[in-house]
Amino acid sequence: MRVEYINPFVESAYNVLKEVLKSDVKRGELFLKSTSMPVLGVAAIVGLAGDVEGRVLFDMTADTATKVASAMLESMDMEPVDSLNEMARATITELANMITGQAVTKLHNLNFKFDLTPPAIFTGENMEITNPDVEALIVPIEVPMGKIEINVAVRERN
Amino acid sequence: MTNTEIEQQTEEVVHVPVADYKMVTFSLGGKDYGVNIMDVKEIAKFSNFTYVPNTAPYVRGVYNLRGEIISIIDLRIMFNLPAAQKSVNQGENGLVLRSENGLVGVIVDSIDRVVAISSESIQPPHPIFGDINIKYISGVVEHEERLYIILDSKRIFWKEDEVSDAPEPPGTAAVEAQDSAVPAPVETGDFLAEGLAVVASFHVTGVNKVWYAQRRKDWTEQHGETQLAEPSEAADFLAPFYSPATDHLWPEAYAGAFADSLETDTSTIVNVLNPGCGAGYESYSIACALAMRYPEKQIKVWAIENDLLKVSSAPDIVVDAESAEHFAPFLTDGKRGRTFSPAIRDSILFEYGDIRNVSGLPPMDAVVMRDVVSFFPERTQERIFELIDEIVKPGGLVVLGSNEQPVNNDDLTEVVDEDFVAYRKRKDRQEPS
Repeated sequence: MRVEYINPFVESAYNVLKEVLKSDVKRGELFLKSTSMPVLGVAAIVGLAGDVEGRVLFDMTADTATKVASAMLESMDMEPVDSLNEMARATITELANMITGQAVTKLHNLNFKFDLTPPAIFTGENMEITNPDVEALIVPIEVPMGKIEINVAVRERN
Repeated sequence: MTNTEIEQQTEEVVHVPVADYKMVTFSLGGKDYGVNIMDVKEIAKFSNFTYVPNTAPYVRGVYNLRGEIISIIDLRIMFNLPAAQKSVNQGENGLVLRSENGLVGVIVDSIDRVVAISSESIQPPHPIFGDINIKYISGVVEHEERLYIILDSKRIFWKEDEVSDAPEPPGTAAVEAQDSAVPAPVETGDFLAEGLAVVASFHVTGVNKVWYAQRRKDWTEQHGETQLAEPSEAADFLAPFYSPATDHLWPEAYAGAFADSLETDTSTIVNVLNPGCGAGYESYSIACALAMRYPEKQIKVWAIENDLLKVSSAPDIVVDAESAEHFAPFLTDGKRGRTFSPAIRDSILFEYGDIRNVSGLPPMDAVVMRDVVSFFPERTQERIFELIDEIVKPGGLVVLGSNEQPVNNDDLTEVVDEDFVAYRKRKDRQEPS
């Protein structure tokens, strides 16, 4: 993955999570992965197009997703959720959109032209994701509610 | 028919195979297998063995072999092959194998016979063998129109801990497991080489053995036969290994020799792959050298590095004017100091990535990977060379470290221009059909 793309994603993930959760956010060591990998349970996916082709995946357990959604809702004076219902899913989708949107804005300022697709959310057990031919950058982020893994796989359009 | 084919045929005619390898053959799940007869103590029929609780599923129990208690392992279960259920009283066919930990009984479907073959006719296993993990197979041999898979009984029983592991996931993980299962061809007891592999992840193989042999001699004369336990010691050992101008811009002569040795074709783009580009000095040197030599062509350098810390500063590198004097036309004054002009910067694509996973790249006029392959295990080195072979154009250039050589590759011929050494891929190579 192109070096210039890495920081915008890492920074915006960190900033957005810190802002919406109003709590301590820790970034883990970045690493690369090219094989298929298990999805923890809830995966929000945003497609990227433009100069590149690829996608960003936000991966967390159902429990973490519920708690993160509750924290976000509470911060806006709304009722928290106790299960991964429609409201919770919509909230997680919005989180994915915020992070990716901010990253793409940063990239635009660096003269890279990216477009986003509307986010989609997948839930279920025992899921795996495979991106043949594209290496994924994994940005692990620790929040008080658990772990969120941001999995960015993009490649240049030749 | 080419000359080499004729040579091979004549060789086969004069060559009389000697039956110097005997193996006991047996069947497992309907297929033929063999083990070296020297590993077999006897052929036996096991019955009334005692079940032992809380063991791996393929351990059927223990057996009293004329007063000696041995463990009984069912190879069919171990290799996930169908096993016919037998009634309790019926004995199971098996072999008693010698292993380092004493005798072990193995259950098979049926014992066939002893076959004598020539050890030269044993072929290495093909990596796509499905039923049995390739690390347990020492080879394949054809005899009287039957194909026998020769199992390596040592691997099966000496590495119990690995055997009990869950089946490996496909992809890189499996390949990595193979990397570790196949030791580099280092003399056993070469603590220096072992230390380098552990501490500095430097692997002594055909790629660097010439340099290593000399360096080892010099080192042991000075330091004695010590082990390399500290990263700093390993770094001292490896200090002379690195090619000239590592982590610096290439000097004018070296850069010129590189550009001279490159033979470009009619295409308007020159593509260069630069794995292990580190902080980027090498990539900028390549881009500048080529831009100087081929001002009419578009230069594209694909720079890949798996150390995020090093590569993240590469796009905004700052150089001191003195060392970059010969590249002066490509420098501009930036806010933080002298940097490369946008034209040069745009010609290099720095990526955080792993050479093993590259894909989707155009054919390359050159691959520059100095002092890169030596830092991968032998299996991976082979894969990298295969990948390079695929990606380099015929007539293209492969630049390795000054103390590295390509292994088992007749398609690469050496190109020397004073200090600069590279390898050119044969132009007339017939692509395998």
